[in-house]
Amino acid sequence: MPKALTYTLVILAALALIPLALIARARVTTSSVPRLHLIGDMDTQPYLKAQAANPLFADGRAMRMPVPGTVARGSLMEPEVATGRDGNGWLEVIPVPLTRELMARGRERYDIFCAPCHGYSGYGDGVVNRRAERLQEGTWTPVASFHTETARSRPAGYIYNAITHGVRTMPPYGGQIPVLDRWAIVAYVKALQRSQHASLADVPPEVRMELQARMQGHDGTR
Amino acid sequence: MSDLGETRWVFPRWTNQLRVVVGVLLVVVPLYLVVLLGYGASPKTTDVGYAPEQPVPYSHALHVGQLGLDCRYCHTTVEQAAEAAVPPTQTCMNCHARVRAASPKLLSVRESYATGLPIPWVRVHDLPDYVYFDHSAHVRRGVGCVSCHGRVDTMEVVRQVEPLSMGWCLDCHRNPEPHLRPPELATSMDWVPPEDPEVYGKRLRQQLGIRPSTECWTCHR
Repeated sequence: MPKALTYTLVILAALALIPLALIARARVTTSSVPRLHLIGDMDTQPYLKAQAANPLFADGRAMRMPVPGTVARGSLMEPEVATGRDGNGWLEVIPVPLTRELMARGRERYDIFCAPCHGYSGYGDGVVNRRAERLQEGTWTPVASFHTETARSRPAGYIYNAITHGVRTMPPYGGQIPVLDRWAIVAYVKALQRSQHASLADVPPEVRMELQARMQGHDGTR
Repeated sequence: MSDLGETRWVFPRWTNQLRVVVGVLLVVVPLYLVVLLGYGASPKTTDVGYAPEQPVPYSHALHVGQLGLDCRYCHTTVEQAAEAAVPPTQTCMNCHARVRAASPKLLSVRESYATGLPIPWVRVHDLPDYVYFDHSAHVRRGVGCVSCHGRVDTMEVVRQVEPLSMGWCLDCHRNPEPHLRPPELATSMDWVPPEDPEVYGKRLRQQLGIRPSTECWTCHR
């Protein structure tokens, strides 16, 4: 066999390994280039997915904002529930049925949306507050505790409104938390406040004795 | 002319070897092409590792990993809707109106907040348009975020870690047990099953009544 032919075959065989090596490399590295699909099928169809861009509208959004002053189907509710107040001012009582599920939901939602600043127990020692103080942010206002006299005297409707529209430097959370979840959080905040100012009288009688015995074991101090 | 003689029209002796070479190539070349295509066009090659550059250098490693924010603080719709929505600029400004308020990295966030125009975030996980997928159906039945998105809490830049191919979806729809967890822990990034995942998953599957469909119309509707 002529040497030229042998060499060509060897070189071709070596070159054939290059695509394999490139593929092996592509599998273990990241790439910011959009994916290449050899067979496009109908991967990309001329319809717009949620939150897609659409240059047809001035704001570039494919999705439209709700028309101001309108209520989506199924979202209509009692004005007291939606606003947290009636003719006499802030609602003192939560206007939805208080259940164990609502309380559990409130705790879960509080931990997601409120705890980052307010802290899991409501003392204003959340992780964002701590970070802002560590960074010595001049624009940061320390988060208030839920357990001061003022905070404890706030009516349920006031807390609900604070979640919905924000208060002082707190931003509004109405867009992130649906109405029922807001009331669940109000219920949980009220429970948190109570838990931090509980006295022995709040404990059911059957547990009270046991608790008293334990406290005496600790010299009566907490 | 005459010195070449008749041999000019006779194949040289080495061409006998060529028959073997051509024979081998006829087998090896198609095999090579099949391997190349299968290996190269696999979603594990084409889709995994996609990490587009985002308009804002947002770090999940900082916000989720270090600060411990829950996925749902920003992706609020994930439990009710098909889409796990990218948050509006307001969500960024909840903190960044006051924390790192003058950071140059957040310039486009402040710009978006002032103008009301959206930040052009680049979608990382994009299924083909003929696939129906519902986040809420998975999250509420105990498939954790990690199962499909990987350890986002360690990512400075979000990248795709799973192929999100049909075969990959079906693997889990046929055998969901190792990927199940209590639904309330769906967003936990470092959750590990308290016992053998297969055993634990089996019990959980019975408890929650998980019957993932493998019918065509489940995803292609």
